[in-house]
Amino acid sequence: MSAPPPTAPAPAAPPLPTAAPAASAPLLSMAPMADNLAAIGRFGVFAGQVAARALRRPFFWGPLLAHTWVTSVRCLLPVVAVTTPFGMVIALEGLEIFGLFGAQRMLSSLVSVAVLRELSPVLASVLIAAQGGSSCAAELGAMRIKEEIDATEVMAVDGIQLHVVPRVLALTIACPMLNVVGSFSGLAGGWFTAVVLKGEKSGIFMANLWALATPMDVWGGAIKTTVFGAVIGLIAAYHGYYATGGAAGVGRAVNDTVVHSVLVFITFNYLLTSALFAGATP
Amino acid sequence: MLQNTISDGVLHVADPEPAPPPPLIRLRGLTKSFGPNTVLNNVSFDIPEGRTTAIIGPSGTGKSVMLKHIVGLIRPDAGEVLCFGTDMARAPEPALYAARRRMGMLFQDGALFDSFTVGENVAFPLVHHAPQMSEDERRAKVNEKLALVGLPGTYERATASLSGGQRKRVGLARAIIMEPEIVLFDEPNSGLDPITSDAIDQLICDMKQALGVTFVVITHDIVGTVRVADYIAMLYRGDLIAWGPTAEVLRAEHPVLRAFLQRNLILPPAGGSGDARLPAVQ
Amino acid sequence: MAAAAAFFGRVGAYAYFVGDFVVAVRRHGVPWRLVLQEAYSIGVRSLPILLIIAGFVGTNLALQGYFAFKPLGGSRLVGMFVSLAGVRELAPIIAAAMVAAKAGTEMASQIGVMRIREQIDALEVMAVNPMAWIIAPRLVGIMLVLPALTVISTFMMVGAGLLVSVVQLGVPGEIFLELASQGISAPDFLYGQVKALIFGLIICTVSCYFGFTCERGPEGVGKATNQAVVTSAVICVVLNYFLSEVFYGGAH
Repeated sequence: MSAPPPTAPAPAAPPLPTAAPAASAPLLSMAPMADNLAAIGRFGVFAGQVAARALRRPFFWGPLLAHTWVTSVRCLLPVVAVTTPFGMVIALEGLEIFGLFGAQRMLSSLVSVAVLRELSPVLASVLIAAQGGSSCAAELGAMRIKEEIDATEVMAVDGIQLHVVPRVLALTIACPMLNVVGSFSGLAGGWFTAVVLKGEKSGIFMANLWALATPMDVWGGAIKTTVFGAVIGLIAAYHGYYATGGAAGVGRAVNDTVVHSVLVFITFNYLLTSALFAGATP
Repeated sequence: MLQNTISDGVLHVADPEPAPPPPLIRLRGLTKSFGPNTVLNNVSFDIPEGRTTAIIGPSGTGKSVMLKHIVGLIRPDAGEVLCFGTDMARAPEPALYAARRRMGMLFQDGALFDSFTVGENVAFPLVHHAPQMSEDERRAKVNEKLALVGLPGTYERATASLSGGQRKRVGLARAIIMEPEIVLFDEPNSGLDPITSDAIDQLICDMKQALGVTFVVITHDIVGTVRVADYIAMLYRGDLIAWGPTAEVLRAEHPVLRAFLQRNLILPPAGGSGDARLPAVQ
Repeated sequence: MAAAAAFFGRVGAYAYFVGDFVVAVRRHGVPWRLVLQEAYSIGVRSLPILLIIAGFVGTNLALQGYFAFKPLGGSRLVGMFVSLAGVRELAPIIAAAMVAAKAGTEMASQIGVMRIREQIDALEVMAVNPMAWIIAPRLVGIMLVLPALTVISTFMMVGAGLLVSVVQLGVPGEIFLELASQGISAPDFLYGQVKALIFGLIICTVSCYFGFTCERGPEGVGKATNQAVVTSAVICVVLNYFLSEVFYGGAH
């Protein structure tokens, strides 16, 4: 009833030595450190390539404007949604501390210095890393996995110039703009808590707002966020552009982008705060 | 037992049974839309017990959606899906899970867990549904199923190191580990080279003989389908355009059906009798 | 309007998702043997970055507090400022933000990959409830680990603030510590733990929600990961304000 099968089942492959499950590496080991150093070197080379291509023609204005717009819009809500409650919390805790000396009227000075110097630049940068940077990494990673970047190169268009440079510049431009928005919403949050919720006088709040803050605080925030925007853009583009390993690789690129940019920029933030503001304070 | 065979470029299709065995799965008026697209339009047919039924059709005609209805992953807009008398469209979770324990399914890419070894993947349903089984018994059973799919001695192998065909074999071993009464295959040949693809078809034919369970195969690989299938249902743009024993479907007159099958087969004359032939190249 | 409708649609879908999860856990229980593994991977992998970040936040707190109180002649209050801000506000929220950035994104991308590679469907077909099997151990793990991480980052923050105050700002260490311990009380630690538990709940369910609803293809995983971290961070910060208002707002 049944003829002999025309094809025998393919012979089974001999069992390979099982790859050791990716156990978590010991906390102290030299190998990851060497890997990290090598990765930092590759990142430096990539950043150099991006910088060189940013200065070379052709310049892709259309993508730059589109990415700047999309990034700003995408990050706007998260920045406002996070800086406002933080401004409110500062006012809440600040009232308590100033209450110790009966100096509640100085509250707005603390709020403005804290928001302008630290809170808004830091939170705007963290959220741009989490939202703008990670979606940049996700887009570039997906393009890499789907061979769109290879296709670009095959069509004799520079992949970094077309896909990476506009995204990095867009983040560099969007970050200080969002810092301005974050500063306003942080101050508004502080005002809301102090005046509306806790019954401080609005006139006193506004009068003391600039008692301690200086133009240097505003410029310092702008400089910091511009630098951070560029760093976030480069880190995100690096992880996305060199993504490997399918959809899981894209997820990994996004994760690494968020973690590394927050790490790098919190470290830099301390150094920049010390450098920019230590001398400027009365 | 019905058995179709290929010899000398001629596909000998077994004569249809006088009457199909009683149905194990009954589809009644199955209708499903995603937004404006009607993917299944009032589809009704029976899948007979102990036979292999192939659901064929061009890409995007709702084959996979139908399979997902049979296992209750998707709920229809209208109609019912009766498996072992359980309405998979409406059953509460306990009844649904009880029915699913009597089924096995091979997913397109195997859907294996990469963090597990091959053996752990195959053992997964046993660990969850037969916890009383000892470790040794479980291992023995897994090794038996791995041998059945042509991968003996691969228990400890890392899942990530498998090739596409091997992933499907392991997925198949996992699908039959609970001795199911129904085994469903989602595109068993997709993404495989012709040799591996033939080997998978042969595996299905062998298992059909060895296990005597009900198979449902979704595919657009015509030659493979006709080799393994006792009954064929064809879907085209959400409609069921043919259903019956393989020999009758091959002789049916529907123009779309004939166009679809003639891509790979030289069909017997419509309404006449005789075996289909493979194109000369093969 | 369409955006608002889409937003509320997602909120509804998330609520429905959490409801499904609760039903699944009540019916199928928690796979306890996976909990330890998840807690380990969430805790240990988030720890190094959390320590670094908490350290730098502590140093910046000290700098800010010092500059803010100096004009009032209160530069010695920096210890109180660091401990108050650290224990009550920043340690819980920073620990939560880093766990969202590290463990939350990992959850979303792992589960997203499981979704698009049909592994979640495979679990369903094998009659194993994917919600109970995937989410429950992560949820219990994060709830075990996040309070501990919060305590660790509190100490790191205050320690780094102390270091900067003594070395860079010239505030005597004894005064810093004395004022630091005056500024806070035991309930502050307790409230920090409550915040950590709530943040853990939010981070895990939001990240898993985005993973489970991941769209096809590599973009889908990237998008799910991105949305998971942003959404959980925003919800945590907003909730933080309300929790602070409840815990500390009326007390003084």
